[in-house]
Amino acid sequence: MSWIKLCKTTEVPENSLKKIWAAGGIPILVAHYKGGFRALPPVCPHMEEPLDESGIIAGCVMTCTKHLWAWDLATLELQGETEKPLKTYETKVEDGELMAFVEKELLYDFEDEDDMDDDAFFNS
Amino acid sequence: MPARNHNQWIAKPPLQQGEWIDSRIYSEQGIFNDEIEKIFKHVWVPVCHESELPEAYDFRTTSIGGEPIVICRGPDNEIRAFLNVCPHRGMLIERRPAGSFLEGQPSGNPKRMTCMFHAWQFDMKGNCVYVAREKEGYQDRLCKENVGLRRLRCEVKFGGFVWVNMDDNPSQTVEEWCGEPFECLRESLDAEPLEVFHYHKAIVDTNYKLWHDTNSEFYHDFMHYHNRITGFNDAYFARKNFAYKNGHVVVGTFEVNYENYEGFESRAELSFPKLPPNQWYMVDLFPGFNFNLRGSALRCDIVTPLGPDKVMIEFRGLGLKRDTPEERITRINHHNSIWGPFGRNLHEDLIGVAGQGATMSPGTEPRRILHGRHENETIHDEIGMRHYYDEWGRWMNRMPSEPDKAYAPPAVAAE
Repeated sequence: MSWIKLCKTTEVPENSLKKIWAAGGIPILVAHYKGGFRALPPVCPHMEEPLDESGIIAGCVMTCTKHLWAWDLATLELQGETEKPLKTYETKVEDGELMAFVEKELLYDFEDEDDMDDDAFFNS
Repeated sequence: MPARNHNQWIAKPPLQQGEWIDSRIYSEQGIFNDEIEKIFKHVWVPVCHESELPEAYDFRTTSIGGEPIVICRGPDNEIRAFLNVCPHRGMLIERRPAGSFLEGQPSGNPKRMTCMFHAWQFDMKGNCVYVAREKEGYQDRLCKENVGLRRLRCEVKFGGFVWVNMDDNPSQTVEEWCGEPFECLRESLDAEPLEVFHYHKAIVDTNYKLWHDTNSEFYHDFMHYHNRITGFNDAYFARKNFAYKNGHVVVGTFEVNYENYEGFESRAELSFPKLPPNQWYMVDLFPGFNFNLRGSALRCDIVTPLGPDKVMIEFRGLGLKRDTPEERITRINHHNSIWGPFGRNLHEDLIGVAGQGATMSPGTEPRRILHGRHENETIHDEIGMRHYYDEWGRWMNRMPSEPDKAYAPPAVAAE
């Protein structure tokens, strides 16, 4: 894929987040922080929390309000107890349209441990 | 027959041991507590049907022997059961009767079970995946790997019922436990996916065994108006009760002539796969689970004992998953006309057991309950109950007729 349109920059006011269904059915979270935009996968890398519902932006810092993981959206630095970095799509603005460079959908890895065989499990 | 004075009333009946029992097994709290520990925490319980959790992350909650249980379907499509108790401070983790973990709860996150008390989280395999401020509070002394949920033995069998056992090392598998009595229904139940179309529950002021007794003898046909005026015929009475190991009973099959019943119609067209048209089967499982296939509709009744004089009964009606909307309406009509709240039999059975519950409530004088009918093991023979109470006596190590004494085989063998 390539550069795709997400929305007009005026659709997402500063200090807010909006989830967009981009071309190809890919969900992208647009974050408008002080001084710029980010295009992100729409869930928190911690617990898959939908950030359009639970994320808040104050200045440059986006915080997921469930367990208080937070990132500086300007530098992408992890704040406080945050343990995983954000993944981001490259963005640019053309004629008032926010664009993102999307090769494929960015996804976080969430742990999924394997089961033991029942008898091994219950007899261990 | 003259009325009796108190001494005559409490005297032993002129029947053999095994043909009567002491009503204290229906009314004493201590015996009830013993049943929970010795029976219900070791038997396989059909807690629900897999069609009630059709999608990944769907769940249901229930309880076995007073212990709360959560059953969920994982993203790998496997159904698993866990104790619904947080390993931290013993909070009930999931409070809803049923639902989905796919969307996050206000205090949780998508795809996880969350204890709303302190936000600990667990995945669909019971792994603990989040402990709030783990390092700050526990440093390296305790971590997520130490605080997974308690997983329970869980198998999906006999037409998609979900069987859970509170005992990690049960003496038998589900197949060994009840495969033989299910043999008569196995092909019909496993031919294609089934689906629950009816669910209701009742809390009845009676002992759970009294409810199971009504399924184990048909002598109470005399209570069922409709059976009495339309059902009695030679084939009906010729049916036998077949006793299986582990206290289970199967009532012999027969063909129901629904056309002879006013307001009823043949069920041949919608009869379950591999089932002769209009056939009837009943499987009674120790200690209180009943499966009844009436041609076009399967019924499953599950008891959850709540006290010596209180039982919750869950009633489920099932059809074929592939039913068209029209077929489903007909199947539901067939189901409700027998087993609905205004159906043919259910309300009458409930009146019977509630009446027994009233006379045998805790504190009432012990009395004797007769199970001594012998009628060539046919449906008015009380062999089903004798077989059941012999099994009960072995699990409890108590004599059903003298519950303070240790178990000994009855003088009249359970046949």
